[in-house]
Amino acid sequence: MNPQVLVDGLIAGAMYGLGAIGVTLTYSILRFANFAHSELLTFGAYAALALSSALGVLSAGLLAPIGPFSFGWSLPLAAIAAMALTGLLALAVDAVLFGRLRVRRSSIIVMVMASFGAALTLRSLLEFVFTSKPAYFTRELQIALPLGGGMRATPDQLLALAVAVLLVVAVHLLLTRTAIGRSMRAVSENQALAGVVGVDVRKVIRVVWLLGAALACVAGIMAGLLVQLRPYMGFDLLLPLFAAAILGGIGSVPGAMLAGLIVGLAEAGTVQLIGAEWRTAVAFVILVLVLLLRPQGLLGRPQA
Amino acid sequence: MSTVAPPPALATQALVAGYERDLPIVRGVDFQVAAGELVVILGPNGAGKSTLVKAIAGLVPIHSGHAFLAGADITRSPVQEKVRHGLAFVPQTENIFATLSIQENLQLAADILPRRVQAERIAEVCDLFPDLAARRSARAGNLSGGQRQMLAVARALIVKPSVLILDEPSAGLSPKIVGEVFARLKDINAAGITIVLVEQNVKAALAIAHRAVILVEGELRHEGPAATLAEDPIVAQLYLGAAPAGQEEGR
Amino acid sequence: MSVELIAYGCFFLTVALTYAIMCLGLNLQWGQTGLFNVGIAGFVAIGAYVSAILTTPDTAGRLGGFGLPMAVGWLGGALAAALVSYLVGRLTIRLRADYLAIATFGIAAAVQLCALNLEPITGGPFGIGFIPRPFAAQAGNPLLFSLFNLALLITVVLLLYFALERLVRSPWGRVLRAIREDETAALALGKSATRFRLQAFAIGGGIMGLAGAAQAHFIGFIAPENYLPMLTFQVWAMLIVGGSGNNRGAILGAVLVWGIWAVSAALIAAVFDPGQQARAASLQIALIGVAICAVLLLRPQGILGEMRTVSRHLGTLAKRTQPAEKRPE
Ligand SMILES: Nc1ncnc2c1ncn2[C@@H]1O[C@H](COP(=O)(O)OP(=O)(O)OP(=O)(O)O)[C@@H](O)[C@H]1O
Ligand SMILES: [Mg+2]
Repeated sequence: MNPQVLVDGLIAGAMYGLGAIGVTLTYSILRFANFAHSELLTFGAYAALALSSALGVLSAGLLAPIGPFSFGWSLPLAAIAAMALTGLLALAVDAVLFGRLRVRRSSIIVMVMASFGAALTLRSLLEFVFTSKPAYFTRELQIALPLGGGMRATPDQLLALAVAVLLVVAVHLLLTRTAIGRSMRAVSENQALAGVVGVDVRKVIRVVWLLGAALACVAGIMAGLLVQLRPYMGFDLLLPLFAAAILGGIGSVPGAMLAGLIVGLAEAGTVQLIGAEWRTAVAFVILVLVLLLRPQGLLGRPQA
Repeated sequence: MSTVAPPPALATQALVAGYERDLPIVRGVDFQVAAGELVVILGPNGAGKSTLVKAIAGLVPIHSGHAFLAGADITRSPVQEKVRHGLAFVPQTENIFATLSIQENLQLAADILPRRVQAERIAEVCDLFPDLAARRSARAGNLSGGQRQMLAVARALIVKPSVLILDEPSAGLSPKIVGEVFARLKDINAAGITIVLVEQNVKAALAIAHRAVILVEGELRHEGPAATLAEDPIVAQLYLGAAPAGQEEGR
Repeated sequence: MSVELIAYGCFFLTVALTYAIMCLGLNLQWGQTGLFNVGIAGFVAIGAYVSAILTTPDTAGRLGGFGLPMAVGWLGGALAAALVSYLVGRLTIRLRADYLAIATFGIAAAVQLCALNLEPITGGPFGIGFIPRPFAAQAGNPLLFSLFNLALLITVVLLLYFALERLVRSPWGRVLRAIREDETAALALGKSATRFRLQAFAIGGGIMGLAGAAQAHFIGFIAPENYLPMLTFQVWAMLIVGGSGNNRGAILGAVLVWGIWAVSAALIAAVFDPGQQARAASLQIALIGVAICAVLLLRPQGILGEMRTVSRHLGTLAKRTQPAEKRPE
């Protein structure tokens, strides 16, 4: 097998992992599979695109590529604002939709269906605003650097990998070392008891939306940077993200990252061995295998 | 009796509560606990004992009536506020975070305290429970039943509550361990913390309680000093003898 | 009235009725049993492809066709879709409620991918043509041809409707509703509750497969792009407008939504220039999304509401929602 598979798989996998962390966190605390998570990805990517272009209009200097990368300072600046915007969008959807259903103690499946409706709405509105034509953060071409052993990667790809690793570590530390992280884990295990202990569950839910949305935004920007932006970019990632979140074990951040990498590598391997046209089947096969063999996932607790 | 009575540590007034609006489980309970008292709530399975204490703690909707903590109305305060007002609650089941370590369980409770006193409070509580202190980094899910109850009590004590409510802390424990848990509760009470104890384990509970109330079908039917109730043959026959120990409530 | 107009009316209704069949299948899964299927397009596609392969004349370079009678094709399509539904259900029904949703979402993607890539079986991106059409002998007379086809579909829908109504009122249907309405009942039934739900899911999937087969034979040609997720969204919109839990509503919703869809598509085509049409069409989908959310928030029983047999459930649902308002989250 071509060693390049490893690089391609790791880079795609890092992106999946990042998206899957958002899925797994919101899933473990809100307790339903949020089909609208993918639209947070798409929204984040387009928000960053719009803001970055706006910054470029204000000052052309911001568009000049930074060092070896394909984008200028406008993108990282826009990314920070886009993360905040995506978080606000998630809070807004929660306020008008999920929050109301939660107060009524709606069943899981009603929440899932609501997320499905929200996904349709958001995705179609994005398609309306940005059209289905692919868009790009930059037009700069990048030369892939040799990494040794016949492997190559562009500086953008390496940066994406580094950012993913950094964010995973940061989220892991947040969950394990801070008070809010402790509250999040407590709410995910037992919401009623968390309240008894003094945790403000509503605040935790807000934080989780913000965090999940910000991570989705970064994953979306990565996908946009490494491939392209399309209104369906998030939708197409939904199956790999769910597969990774379930494979990793719902609620487990290291699990989600590990599983994201597994899905990415399996896809890259499949492209090499079987053919690119079967790539999207990989996530489904992995999903079926996990549900069949180990429904609690690699690092999840049983009967979660 | 003193001339000006202080407000009771905990009181309910015509409290009606239940899981669904048209289905009250607790039906008009008037209940008072004086500061420093150890009161036990007895009653047959399904009487609504858990529902009553969960309603006071804020986990079950209160339909009408009031709950007071040291004279302050806490009927409508959300569950996470009550612990800040000094009301600690140990539920009947699932009363610890099994996926968190012992230290994290305690720290979680301490998180609502000012930062500078957190470590100190945890250390103080650990002094009371040396078994737990020895295994602070272990996952709480790996503890034995008795250790879990100890952890749940320890966690509740972190905030120095004025009132501690425990729902069947002896459920599922061997008689020896029940003795240990109850001895600990007696010490805690002696240290000045008001305790409300829901129990099926009548003998052990009456042995440490000052007073007992009996709840039947959501209403208070009897109350009196623990010693008298323990000897009252009618009460014993009606509600106490038949109650098996260690019943777990359905979710 | 001109002959063309009547023929067009028949054509429109016939297509609408194929959606009505899908809607009836979904109603059994969601409306009666509370199982959330996000992969309707996949099950419809299975029915369409299986029936097409079974009934088309032998074709070089592709598996089959076997030239079997149309009835065999329809039955085969329904059975294949039912089998796949059974397997998906088997895999997920005893797990978390939303794993079924994720798995059906995955199945639809996988079916789509197979249709596209398994060229020796499915014809790949070009699909399968020359699917025998019912009453092909009448093809010379458009009016008669479309009337016959419509009559056939009406018969199928009516048969299904009465069969499902009987099923709903049978002990089997009552158990299903008991499971849906009351978690304690479901728990008490334990393993057999899972079996009942699985049966309902498989039958519902089979009905979707039948719809796919009927549609394929009526149109005469299938290709992977007929079975995009959009189809799933449309069928959901139909059931929600009609009212879940109500078979008559499911049929009415299908005809109504298909009508609105066709009219609005025509409007978009007339009003917008071709470059903007896809864009305007996305607003159509956004509306489906908003409708789903609005119905969940405002009128969980749909526009027509559930039938009397199930209205008891709504009563308890409404009661359950009330005390929660006071409850802290
Ligand atoms: N979560 C719930 N939802 C709805 N009804 C409940 C719930 N929990 C308990 N009940 C009902 O409330 C009634 C009283 O239950 P409760 O748990 O308060 O009894 P209990 O006196 O604590 O009994 P036990 O001694 O068995 O613990 C019972 O009829 C029970 O079915
Ligand atoms: Mg109880």
